[in-house]
Amino acid sequence: MPERADFLHGGLRMRLVVGLKYILDPEIPPRDFRIDEEARRPVQGRASLVISPFDENALELALQMKDRDPATQVVALSAGPASSEEALRKALSLRVDEAVRVETDPLGEPDGEQTALLLARAVQRLGGDILLVGRQAGDWDRGQTGPIAAEILGWPCVTAVSRIEAADGRLRLRHEGPDGLEVVEATPPLVLTVTNDEANQLRIPKARDILATRSKQVGRLSLDDLGLSPEAVPPRSEVTRLYVPVEEHQCEWIEGDDAEAKARALADRLMALKVL
Amino acid sequence: MRVPTRQVYWNIPGHEWMYALFVVLLAVLAWGIWQRASLWRLGRPARRLDQPGRRLAEMNRQVILQARLLRDALSGPMHLLLSWGFVVLFLGTVVVFLKADLGLPVMQGPFYLYFQSLTLDLFGALALIATAVAAWRRYLERLPRLSRTVQDWVILALFALILLTGFVLEGLRIEVTRDPWGLWSPVGYLFGRLFASFLSVGAMRLLHRGLWWFHLVIAFAFLGLIPFSKMFHILLAPLNVYMRSLEPKGELPPMDVEAAAEAGEHLGAAELTDFSWKQLFDLDACTECGRCEAVCPAHAVGKALDPKYVVLNLREHLHAEGPSLLALAARARSAAENGPAEGEGEAVSHLVGPVIDPEALWACTTCRACMEACPVFIEHVPTIVQMRRYQVMELADYPATMQEALTSLEERGHPFRGSTASRLDWAEGLEVPLLSRLGGAEGLDYVLWVGCSAAFDERNQRIARALATLLQRAGVRFAILGDEERCTGDPARRMGNEFLFQMTARENVDLLRRYGVRRILTLCPHCYNTFRNEYPRFGGEYEVVHHSQLLRELLASGRLRVTRPSLLETTYHDPCYLGRYNDEYEAPRAVLGAVAGGGLREMERNRNHAFCCGAGGGRMWAEEAPSQRVNRERARQALATGARRVGTACPFCMTMLEDGIKSETGGDGSVEVRDLAEIVEEATRPAS
Repeated sequence: MPERADFLHGGLRMRLVVGLKYILDPEIPPRDFRIDEEARRPVQGRASLVISPFDENALELALQMKDRDPATQVVALSAGPASSEEALRKALSLRVDEAVRVETDPLGEPDGEQTALLLARAVQRLGGDILLVGRQAGDWDRGQTGPIAAEILGWPCVTAVSRIEAADGRLRLRHEGPDGLEVVEATPPLVLTVTNDEANQLRIPKARDILATRSKQVGRLSLDDLGLSPEAVPPRSEVTRLYVPVEEHQCEWIEGDDAEAKARALADRLMALKVL
Repeated sequence: MRVPTRQVYWNIPGHEWMYALFVVLLAVLAWGIWQRASLWRLGRPARRLDQPGRRLAEMNRQVILQARLLRDALSGPMHLLLSWGFVVLFLGTVVVFLKADLGLPVMQGPFYLYFQSLTLDLFGALALIATAVAAWRRYLERLPRLSRTVQDWVILALFALILLTGFVLEGLRIEVTRDPWGLWSPVGYLFGRLFASFLSVGAMRLLHRGLWWFHLVIAFAFLGLIPFSKMFHILLAPLNVYMRSLEPKGELPPMDVEAAAEAGEHLGAAELTDFSWKQLFDLDACTECGRCEAVCPAHAVGKALDPKYVVLNLREHLHAEGPSLLALAARARSAAENGPAEGEGEAVSHLVGPVIDPEALWACTTCRACMEACPVFIEHVPTIVQMRRYQVMELADYPATMQEALTSLEERGHPFRGSTASRLDWAEGLEVPLLSRLGGAEGLDYVLWVGCSAAFDERNQRIARALATLLQRAGVRFAILGDEERCTGDPARRMGNEFLFQMTARENVDLLRRYGVRRILTLCPHCYNTFRNEYPRFGGEYEVVHHSQLLRELLASGRLRVTRPSLLETTYHDPCYLGRYNDEYEAPRAVLGAVAGGGLREMERNRNHAFCCGAGGGRMWAEEAPSQRVNRERARQALATGARRVGTACPFCMTMLEDGIKSETGGDGSVEVRDLAEIVEEATRPAS
């Protein structure tokens, strides 16, 4: 492929690290969604866990780059409890080269800033040219992890990327900005946060590859491996209150004999409510 | 008095040349059959020769009596007469052989008169009429299911010529020899009189001699063509009926996904060699009659699928590629014997794409109408699903909306992606007991398996509510699994994701075992079929009841009493997985009969001939071109009855038919679609 040489930089193969967060299914029916107000966290109940949707888009972009250039390596990375290895297994069934979990148990449930630190340190440890993460997680929707990881790594960050092409020795990134689409050119090392697009819906695994993952291992990195201790990690931002907002609807009938009277009454009422 | 008989080979000096031609014919036949038969060896093993008694009985029904063929009121008798005509004429020829070549005194006396003369003449005449009917159907009526290729007219012409020349020969002999028993061959006799009216005796002798050789040559030509044409079915159709599947109709052939993956075999059918020898045999057994095409709902609405051409395209591919695949297999065998096989870089001769249009592959609703119509018991659906398996499990190449359904099934336990309902919404306010609360199924009459469609589809929740209400009204002790219920895996299996199906099946069987579930009530024919026919192989043996069956029983025993008979005229739509797959046609009709005072109007296509709603085989989750919607066609058929209500017994049919009726009536509400449970619930509401 003519692009291949462009993908190489510094004589090294491209190595893409994709951050995957394993979250409570955001498509759970609203009435099944429960929170524990005391503990200030959602309750899983019978809901399933899934890969955060924008992270799926990030993984798909990385796999597409690997499709175009088989020398590209894709590493799936997740910072989370043991259950998140399911997400990594799914990534393995999609034929990523490596899958690694950063053990977060000493930290409880890390927030965006903590996760950014863990991912950044893991990238330094595992080696990588691009870190891709979803633009925001499907559970807390904070959107901090990518930019903070870029800060820690000292790498440029392009947010809300939906497509990646290689051209003229650079990467051409499609960024969805507030005023429309922008095409940005950049060279690795980079942090990209990925948004969804019809072209980056995560592919589905093949049965044969799922079977093959049974013999594959998920790598593990402890805080220690990353040169960190629980104390060295910035404290978790604190949620002071968690609640399901209650929406209240009030309905009022506007009375009137004919359309004009009704319109007049409506206008009066709106002015009384200070809407008009 | 002289013993009635006739001279064999009268007027035919040098008839011994016939034996030389006969040897050539035998050689051609043997070579032709070998050519075909050797290709079947490309297939994988299959067990199709057990239970000979049962097999012979069905063969008798379908080959001797031709039960399936006779469903077509014109083509059926046509085929019966044509085939039996030729069989009887062939027996007549055997009698000649016994006398002429073995010297047995069989061709004389009453047997000669009654059988060899009269019976043969009658059967010959009937076969001639049948040939005319066949020609009329194909070339004048131009039945769409019949093709009009060169072989089609050549074969018909051969039939006509063989029969006509036979009669003319007989007539000429009767005339010239002044045969005293000539009238025992009435048709031949008439032909003789006809020719005698304008030919001299000498001319008749000459004509007879020439025609005899012509008759012989075309008869042999016809026989020689058998292995090279659709007429091969004369030999293969009876065998194919004999070797038909004896497994439950509702079970797709299982496969050991893990073992196949480990052995490096294709998961599903990528190429011909992935089929069983029986599936390859099916291809050669096809008579090209097009009955499958005529009943296929996908074909009827203009989709790419034509089951006849699934078979014919695969057959053509088998004949074209088979020999080189055989050579390849032989080389692989010798390589395996002679040392390490490299086997690398072996090109796969793909079926889907070059041979089978992917659109056709995905258009199948697995409704089984084709298999039910096929007079030679070709198994279209398993072959289609086997090709789907490869597309899904090895290539992950299938329609996006179907992918979403299966991903949802895997991650969320149901295929209705984006549904905002939860498993228990339908039961709100009904106080339906949960198995998890009861701790087990002991003391229950049934565990009600609600199914995803009735749980997650807002419209179909009303079916589940109606059924639960009826069970409470009739005092049936039941419980549900609630949040613990998952899809049975039926959509995954029909779409070809055997791996996901088997995982799901094992999990469900485990769950039901933990609760000690023995009796399952379903309101969905797909769940019904899967529990009844497919779970036994995974260790799940249950007594499975469809709600139409239970409702019939409750109505008959008086546990449900009709308080307000429903006066709407109703037509009933047979769900494929209740009817064709499980032979339950009568329970739903009995239920409707018990509660519907308005009477039942049958659609033209009902029972085993019913037209699918369009949802099966995973089509529920496929995108449909507006002009190619199977459900709208079925809705038109329902509307044509003039009934004001369409009754059905499947939540998927409900979705499809309600949508179809809405589109066809402009949503004017003039015709309603109701599940049996809803109809019965309304009709048995206690008077308050």
